[in-house]
Amino acid sequence: MSKGKKQKKGIKRRMFLKRSGVGIGLMIGGVWLTRNPIRRTIIKTSETLVVPYAGPTSDPLLWLQITPDNNLILHSSKVEMGQGTFTGLAQIVADEMGLPIEKIKVVHAETKAGNLDPFGTGGSMSIASLWVPLREMAATLNLMLLNKAAEKLSVNPDTLRLEGGTITDGSQSLTYGQIVADVTEWDIPSTPPLKKRSEYTYLGKPVPRVDLKEKVMGAPIFGIDAEYPDMLYASVVRSRLIDAQMQNFDTTEAERMPGVIKIYQDEDFIGVIAETHIQAETARKKIKFDYNKNADWSLADIEEKITVGNGNKTIVQKEGPIVEDIDEDAEIIELAFRSSIGAHAQMEPNGAVANYQEGNLEIKVSTQVPQLTQSEVAKAMGMSKKEVNIIPTFLGGGFGRRLHTPNAIQAAKMSKAIGRPVKSFFDRQQEFQNDTFRPPTHHVMKAAVKDGEILGIEHQFASGDTLFNSAMDPGIERVVRADIGSVRGGTIIYDGMPRRATYYHVDLPFATSFWRSLGLLANAFAIESFIDELALKTKQSPVDLRLQYMRDDNPYIVRAKKVLKTCAQKAGYTDEVKDGRAMGIALTIDTGSPCAHVAEVSIVEGSIKIHKVTAVLDCGIAVNPDQVRAQVEGCVCMGISAALYEKMDLKENKLFPINYGSYDMALMRDTPKEIDVVLIEGIDKPGPVGEPPLGPIGAAISNALRRLTGERLTQMPLSAFIS
Amino acid sequence: MKITFNINGEPRSIDTDGEAPLLWVIRDGLNLKGTKYGCGKAACGACTIHVDGMQVRSCSYPAKFAEGKEITTIEGLSQGDNLHPVQQAWIDEVVPQCGYCQPGFMMATAALLKEIPNPTDEDIDNNIINVCRCATYYRMRKAIHKAAALAKQNPSE
Amino acid sequence: MNTKKTLYALFLGICLSSLILWSSDDPTASPSAEPPTETKETPFDLMMQVLTHQRCVNCHPAGDRPRKGDDSHITRALGIPRGNDGHGLQSISCGTCHTTENNDYSGVPGAPDWALAPESMTWEGKTRVEIAEQMMDPQRNGGKSPQEIMKHLTEHELVLWAWEPGIDAEGLPREKPPVSKKDFITAVKEWIASGAIIPEA
Repeated sequence: MSKGKKQKKGIKRRMFLKRSGVGIGLMIGGVWLTRNPIRRTIIKTSETLVVPYAGPTSDPLLWLQITPDNNLILHSSKVEMGQGTFTGLAQIVADEMGLPIEKIKVVHAETKAGNLDPFGTGGSMSIASLWVPLREMAATLNLMLLNKAAEKLSVNPDTLRLEGGTITDGSQSLTYGQIVADVTEWDIPSTPPLKKRSEYTYLGKPVPRVDLKEKVMGAPIFGIDAEYPDMLYASVVRSRLIDAQMQNFDTTEAERMPGVIKIYQDEDFIGVIAETHIQAETARKKIKFDYNKNADWSLADIEEKITVGNGNKTIVQKEGPIVEDIDEDAEIIELAFRSSIGAHAQMEPNGAVANYQEGNLEIKVSTQVPQLTQSEVAKAMGMSKKEVNIIPTFLGGGFGRRLHTPNAIQAAKMSKAIGRPVKSFFDRQQEFQNDTFRPPTHHVMKAAVKDGEILGIEHQFASGDTLFNSAMDPGIERVVRADIGSVRGGTIIYDGMPRRATYYHVDLPFATSFWRSLGLLANAFAIESFIDELALKTKQSPVDLRLQYMRDDNPYIVRAKKVLKTCAQKAGYTDEVKDGRAMGIALTIDTGSPCAHVAEVSIVEGSIKIHKVTAVLDCGIAVNPDQVRAQVEGCVCMGISAALYEKMDLKENKLFPINYGSYDMALMRDTPKEIDVVLIEGIDKPGPVGEPPLGPIGAAISNALRRLTGERLTQMPLSAFIS
Repeated sequence: MKITFNINGEPRSIDTDGEAPLLWVIRDGLNLKGTKYGCGKAACGACTIHVDGMQVRSCSYPAKFAEGKEITTIEGLSQGDNLHPVQQAWIDEVVPQCGYCQPGFMMATAALLKEIPNPTDEDIDNNIINVCRCATYYRMRKAIHKAAALAKQNPSE
Repeated sequence: MNTKKTLYALFLGICLSSLILWSSDDPTASPSAEPPTETKETPFDLMMQVLTHQRCVNCHPAGDRPRKGDDSHITRALGIPRGNDGHGLQSISCGTCHTTENNDYSGVPGAPDWALAPESMTWEGKTRVEIAEQMMDPQRNGGKSPQEIMKHLTEHELVLWAWEPGIDAEGLPREKPPVSKKDFITAVKEWIASGAIIPEA
C-alpha cells in the first residue's frame, strides 16, 4: 500500500513534447503565420518568455540518484559554465527533499543518462525553467522513498516521516541508502503537493558554490583536462581567411615532423595526430595550402552591409504611425548608433576528447548543448544516437560560444581512424579567428518631439545572425524573418505613444551567433542612449522622463518602474557633474527581468574611468542571492569590457586581433571600485539572471559621458571614440 | 632531453623537447592539470606558475629553463589540507565562476603578496593583469585584500 | 558611392598627387632614367637608421610602457610599466613573460636583460640629433663614456637582438633594422673613433 497513484517505470510515462531549436518550433505552422502581426506576436512573446524545461520530467530517477552510502547525485542536464546553476539546483533539491546540501553532489548528466534537454544551457533559463519540474521530481522521489520504506518496514506510509536522509516511524528507521538497496523497480506516484516556501531552508540563502573547492584547488574538471589512457593529440587546420576555401594542401613537411602518427584528411577537414599536443600543433603549422577567395572583405564592407535599409526588413513593433507622420509641427530628432563585432574570448578554447571503441563512441567535451552535440556527432559518424555518449565537463566559460561543437565530430573521426582516443583542441588564435562572433549592428533612432512632449519613438536597426543558423530550424527563419536573438532588447518599452521597431536582417560572410545576451547589449545602447538624449532635449530628468512614459499596467512595466526608481534612489542619481564625475542611468527588460544601472564616470588622463556602478535587478526569487550578485557583477564588468574596449577588425579577409592583449578587454584596473547590487523580488518564482544585467551598462556609461563632456558617443566600443 | 627539477616540493625528471613550453610538460607530462592553457603567448596569465618564487607564464617558458629550478603550481600552493591564504580568501569571497582562469590568478596573487604583503588597490591594478572572461575582478580584488589579512594572521604561511 | 569606389578614387588620387609632387621635385628626371647613384651615407646616418628603427625605439619609448611590434603599438592590457629598474614591477615583471631568448612556440621575443631603457634615454618622438646628444650625455646616459656607449651598441645582447628578432605569434618574422649588423657595428665604431661628431641636422 502506498501513497499517490502508481506508474510502473517504463510502462506508463507522461508524454513530453519534443521541441526543436529554441522551443518555439511548435508555434510555427500554416502559411498565414508569415503575416507581420503574427511575427510581431512571436517576437513579443519571445522577449519575455521563459522557455520551459523541455526534457523528460516523468521519472525523477533520471535526475536524482540515491547512492548506497546515503548521498544523492543530481544528474544535471543543464551545464555549469560559471553561472552557478549547479549550486541553485542543489539548493532546490535539498529543500524539497529535506536533505542537508552536503549530501548532494551535482554532476553533468551524460547523454546516456536519459534526461536530455533539447534547449541546452543558455538564455538565462536554467534555474527559471527547472524551478517547478525539479521540485516536482524531488517531491515525487521523496514519496517513492517513503512508499518503498513502508514496504520494507511493513508499516503504513502515513506513520513515516522524513528526517534529513532518513525515514523513520519513531521506532525504526532506514536511511535513503538502505531504502534504495536492492530495489530494481520503482513505482512512480503522481506528483505530490510541493512544500511551502516557509518550509525551505536553503532558498534565498547565500550557500557557497558547490564547485568552489575544486575550482580553488585547480582540479581537472574542464574539457581540456579530460584524458583517456593511451590517448593521442590532434590539431586541425583552420582557415585564417573568411569567405575563402583552403586548397592545395601539402602535408609533406608535416608528415616528417617528430611525433606525427597520422595526417587525417577527409572532405571536411585536415588534422595532424601526434604523440604530444605540441608535436601535433607544430606539425599542423607546417601544412602548406593556399586559398580560393570568394570575395574581398574589409571592415568598411561589413559596415556598409550592416546599415539600416539593407537586408530583410521586418517590422517587429508597430503601434501607430511612423514618427514623421505623427504631427507635422513636431521636431524630428534622429541619432544613429553602431556597435562592433565582438569576440567571445571565453578562457577555455573549444575542443573535445573522443574515444571510439568497437562501434561505441564516448566524448568528453565542454558544450552548452550535449543533446545537439550527440545528434550532430551521430549523424556525422553514421552511428545511432545510443552508440554516442556525450560526457559534458565543466565549461571554461560559455557565453554562447559552445552551441557549435565541430571539435567533437573531428575528434571522433580521428579517434576512429587511428583506433585510439584523441584529444583535439583549437589554439587561441584559431579560437579567435574562427569564433562565432557577436554581429556588428547599426541603429537609427528617431523621435517626434513637440513642446517638451515626446510624441513617438522609432528604432530601426540592422544586424546579423544570432539565433538563425545557430539554434533554429531553417523553417523558423523563413517564417519569422527577424532573428529573435538579434531583436532582443530592440523594441521600445516606453508606452502611451506611437512606437515602432524595424529590423533589417543581414547575412554576413563570417559566422555570427549567440554572445551573452545576444542583441540586448547593442540595442539597449542605442535606445537607452537616445532616451537620455531626449531627456536633455526636453530638459527633464532622465528618470522622470522614463517614468512618464511607463504608464502601462503590464507587470513587466510595473516591475521596471520600481527597478528604475530604486536604482536612481540607491545611487543618488543626479544630472549634475560633481568633482569631475558624472552619472548615467539606463533601464532594460530582458527575458522578463527588468534591470537598471547607474554608472559613475570620470575621465582620468584621457581614459574613461568607471568608479561605481549601482545595479538593480528584479529577477524574482533569488535562489542563491550571492550567486545572483556574482552574475550581476560579472555582467557589469563584462559589459564594461564590451562597451569600452572590445572590437574585431577585418582587413583582406582576415579578422583580427586573434589573441588576448591585442583584443583589448577590461582588466582588474578597469573594474569599478564599487558595484552596489540591489535585488528585488517582483515575482514569486525565479526569473532569468545571467544576461539581463548586461543590458543597461553601455548606455549608462555613455549617458554619464554625455553629461561629463557634452558629447554624445554613438559607437561602441566607446573608448575608441572619446576625444 | 632529460630535464630535472623540483615541482611542488617533489623532485621530477622528464624526457621532453627542451624548447617545448613548460606548460605542456606540466599538464600532459606530469598530469598536473590545474595550470591552464589560455593564449599560448603570455597574454592572459591562465598558465601562471612560480619558478624559484617568481611568477612566470609557463606557455612561453621553454622546459629547458626549468632545469634545477623550484617550480610551484596551483596544486602545490596549499600544504595538503592546509590552504594557502590566497585559496582561503578565494573561498571566503566565493570568487570563481567558470573557474578556468582562477589558478593563474591565485598564483599571480600569491606572487604579489610575497613582494607586497599589504597591496593597495593601485598595486593590485598594476600587478594583476591576468584575464578573466567571467569578469570576477570585483571579488578578486576583495579576496586579494582578504588574503593579505589572512597571511598576516598566520605568518607561517 | 560605395566604399570600394571611394578607396579606388582615393588610391588614384594618391598616385596622381605623388606623381605631381615627384615631378615638381625634379623636373629634369624622367621615369625611364637610371636611378640616381646613392649619395654616400655617413657612419652617423647608418647608425641612426638603426637607432630610430622600431626594434630600438620600442624599448626606448616615451612614457613608461613598452611599444610592440613593427607598428610600435601599445597594448593597453599588457603594457607592464617600466618600474624602478626598467624590469617592470615588483611582482609582474618583464621576466614573467620574456626569457633570455626568443620563443618560437609563442612568438614572445626575448634576450638577456630584457628591459626598458631608463626614462632619461627616451628616443621615441625625438630627432636623430636629439637622440645622439642624449646618448652621449653622461648626465642622461647613466654616466657612460663614449667607449662604454660603443660597447653597449656593438656588444650588448639586447641591442644585437634587433638582428635576430624572431617570429611573432602568427609565425611571421619581425622586421629587422634597415642596416646589417656588421655595417652597423662598423658605423658605430667609426663614428665614435672619429670623435662622435653630431651633425647639425
